[in-house]
Amino acid sequence: MLFIKYISKRILNGLLVIVGVVVFIFVLFNVLPVNSANMTLGQRTDKASLKAIEREFRLHLPWYSRLAYYFNDLSPVSAHRLSDDSDPSWISKKQVSFVKLFSVGENTVVLKQPNLGRSFQSRRLVSEIVMENFPATAVLALSAMLLASVIGIVLGVFAALRQYSFWDNAILFISNIGISQPSFFAAFIIAMVFGYYLHHLTGLNPQGPLIWVDDEGNTVYVWRNLILPVIALGIRPVAIIAQLTRSSMLDTLSMDFVRTAKAKGLSYYVIIFKHALRNALNPVITSISGWLAALFTGAYFIEEVFNYNGLGSQTIYAIRNFDFPVVMGLSLFVAVVFVVMNILTDMLYALVDPRVRIQ
Amino acid sequence: MERKLLLEVKNLVTEFKTDDGYVKAVNDVSFNLYRGETVGIVGESGSGKSVTSLSIMSLIPNPPGRIASGQIIYHAKDGRTVDLTKIPEAEMRKFRGDEIAMIFQEPMTSLNPVFTCGDQVMEAIILHQKKTKQEARDLTLKMFEKVRLPDPARVLDAYPHQLSGGQKQRVMIAMAMSCNPSILIADEPTTALDVTVQATILDLMNQLRHEIDSSVIFITHDLGVIAEIADDVIVMYKGKIVEQGSVMDIFSNPKHPYTRSLLACRPPLQTRLRKLPTVVDFMREENGQIIELPTTVKEAIDKNVITQAETDRRREDLLSRKPILEIKGLQTWFPTKHDFFGRVTGYVKAVDDVSFNVHEGETVGLVGESGCGKTTLGRTILRLAPATGGQVLFEGRNVLDLPANELKDLRRHMQIIFQDPYSSLNPRMSIGAAIQEPMSVHGIHANEVQRKEKVLELLAKVNMRPEHYYRYPHEFSGGQRQRICIARALALNPKFIICDESVSALDVSVQAQVLNLLIQLREEFKFTYIFISHDLSVVKFMSDRMVVMNKGKIEEMGPSDEIYNNPQKEYTRKLINAIPKGELEDIRKRMSVTVGP
Repeated sequence: MLFIKYISKRILNGLLVIVGVVVFIFVLFNVLPVNSANMTLGQRTDKASLKAIEREFRLHLPWYSRLAYYFNDLSPVSAHRLSDDSDPSWISKKQVSFVKLFSVGENTVVLKQPNLGRSFQSRRLVSEIVMENFPATAVLALSAMLLASVIGIVLGVFAALRQYSFWDNAILFISNIGISQPSFFAAFIIAMVFGYYLHHLTGLNPQGPLIWVDDEGNTVYVWRNLILPVIALGIRPVAIIAQLTRSSMLDTLSMDFVRTAKAKGLSYYVIIFKHALRNALNPVITSISGWLAALFTGAYFIEEVFNYNGLGSQTIYAIRNFDFPVVMGLSLFVAVVFVVMNILTDMLYALVDPRVRIQ
Repeated sequence: MERKLLLEVKNLVTEFKTDDGYVKAVNDVSFNLYRGETVGIVGESGSGKSVTSLSIMSLIPNPPGRIASGQIIYHAKDGRTVDLTKIPEAEMRKFRGDEIAMIFQEPMTSLNPVFTCGDQVMEAIILHQKKTKQEARDLTLKMFEKVRLPDPARVLDAYPHQLSGGQKQRVMIAMAMSCNPSILIADEPTTALDVTVQATILDLMNQLRHEIDSSVIFITHDLGVIAEIADDVIVMYKGKIVEQGSVMDIFSNPKHPYTRSLLACRPPLQTRLRKLPTVVDFMREENGQIIELPTTVKEAIDKNVITQAETDRRREDLLSRKPILEIKGLQTWFPTKHDFFGRVTGYVKAVDDVSFNVHEGETVGLVGESGCGKTTLGRTILRLAPATGGQVLFEGRNVLDLPANELKDLRRHMQIIFQDPYSSLNPRMSIGAAIQEPMSVHGIHANEVQRKEKVLELLAKVNMRPEHYYRYPHEFSGGQRQRICIARALALNPKFIICDESVSALDVSVQAQVLNLLIQLREEFKFTYIFISHDLSVVKFMSDRMVVMNKGKIEEMGPSDEIYNNPQKEYTRKLINAIPKGELEDIRKRMSVTVGP
């Protein structure tokens, strides 16, 4: 019961954060002196496009009405005048599927998926672009994090149990290098060495997407293209998780309850893996989930270097082309991923540490 | 009755590696433990008493520690005789928790926070007695009943943070006793607890060890506690045994001056003293040699007695002065329950309608068990906790509605000294800087040079040396740190000081020194104190008047001696009875009951 209350509060908090982010992003793209729509208009000459963009950005309306319509677009339950073609609330009604719920006067309340607008470039729905690129990035981020967590925790525990030994010092030294190197640097080196110079041994390519559509329209998964980006992306998290696990484990081992466990006559491995490790992992879990959220969205350089199609490379592409609906949609999606990951972390934390549940 | 040997410690030397080579923490210690008896080891922090017990358990962290020489001969349950310093770790592990069990000082941190109390006790039972999970669970429940935990079935599934300190220590005792150990080592098991809880735990341990037929090694810094539980006593000082004998011998005829100082330094209940006798009244140390002074315990106490006439005169004088602090109907309620929107629906009434006055130069003692609201009351007076209602008038001004700038000015005159000298000093600030900081904040003295002079003066006042100015807190012992905290409180030249359990974390011998310092400063600077403690004997020694608190309300108040001699409330009587008195009469009575034919 306490747990449900705790989580529902977190979810409510998360919703408020998302509303705040929506307002912020909207203001950033609509109210600031740099008017995104104007910049886009400058590139276009034909009248139909001009008009389409003007309608799409609702430039004839004041900014507060635009914000209200933006929320209406995003909300799964929204109100529209379906019969009226000039209604600014519903630009792309022909392409977005929805379910009619009920009508109030001229307005119809519908259930739909959140509408992020359309790309200027491809005229495709932004939500489609997001969903198309999300799986590749998610697989990349999750694999990198899984690899980093397993290796990092094992190295950290190993180092802590042999504090000040040769192996402890070696792990510390190498992980310091891992933390200090920029990810694009590692990405270049790895791509060159394993994908190019050692290609005859590894059989891996320096560049290439995980998911692509071949000439006959079939979706093809090229799993070996995942290997090098995962390694490049995982290096920093491995190093940080190893150091964090090490220091947390050392802290825990000096605690009174570890002495109690020894006095009980428990064996070395029970003390380490049952009593100490579970306490030592709490700060590590927080860091892992924080990292995961960042990796979901922050793999920009890695995706770019490896030409790996995902959210990151898509964002860079959109920014280059002033494709503001796509940039806004992707930014909003990033925020939602962060909020959801945080709620999941809190839940995990409450499960691992009973003390958190009570507050 | 024939005594059966259980454990022989012979010439034990345990050392720790430091930058200056090996330092002997335990130096040539020998003693015997007999079946069914209790040996008390007493001494101050750093005397080697805990290291002795950890040596017996083979739990000395190595490196940096090691048992350098000596033997620990144990007569095991199966009839074998083994030297615990020689056997391999795997064999030792079978003894630990099964035949030799241990209880530690800090019940708050000695249990693993992520497992239930039941699981942690069952773990030992399953390991040593080869029981199934269900059998272990039933046994644990029985143990919890035995240690008189309220609602044992609930505690079985409760996590440590859901229990009070006393309850956690009961869980620890249940864990240690669960495999019917031959030897139970209790390392300061009651030091972190209130006196009332201490009394119930001692009582429980006395009863259980007879039921289970365990021998006990009881370690403490307080001879008063030893009197309640031990058959034989070992007094340790700087790693060596300075005196050992039966509890009657030690209390009736203490031979070593250090033992005498330990007996004398506890605040006496029958008389009122000007200052407490301390180690320096009994011995001096020159080049590591102890030079004995011929003082007896009685002499040391008698020369400091305050007569009734003196007490009466002081009281009249105090009452004739105007009150410096008036507390009227003070309430501090903490919200405990909220509805979904965060509105408060329930309170804990930590301080509930409390009124009393403090006269200029007077010391008022606040006494009660943990959770009675005494600490919250102290903090509310200083506005460190928010008041819910009532008034606190300091020299006629209501502290509770002063604006921020006037409050800062007021804080100069009202200071607080906290309980834990370890966490109330910033570890990254040299002690000189720590004492100087409040002066800089309040702009006292013209410049840094003058401030530094003042700090050196204050260090001298609290018996610290000028070269301590640039040192950091970790280089000092608990008693020294508390003296540094006192110096910091004095830096602003306050009129009024609240001492919140300021001596509770200290050894009795160090406690006496700090109490003497507080009294001496009171005479010199004419301070007004509110002195908060759970220990009625300490409050009685310090205070002119005493306020007894229970559940946020005042139970009774009046002159300290009157409250002690003639308590009106059951609660006050409970507090008085819980004090370990260490009187010969009580020891004789206990020995005649427990060591029967």
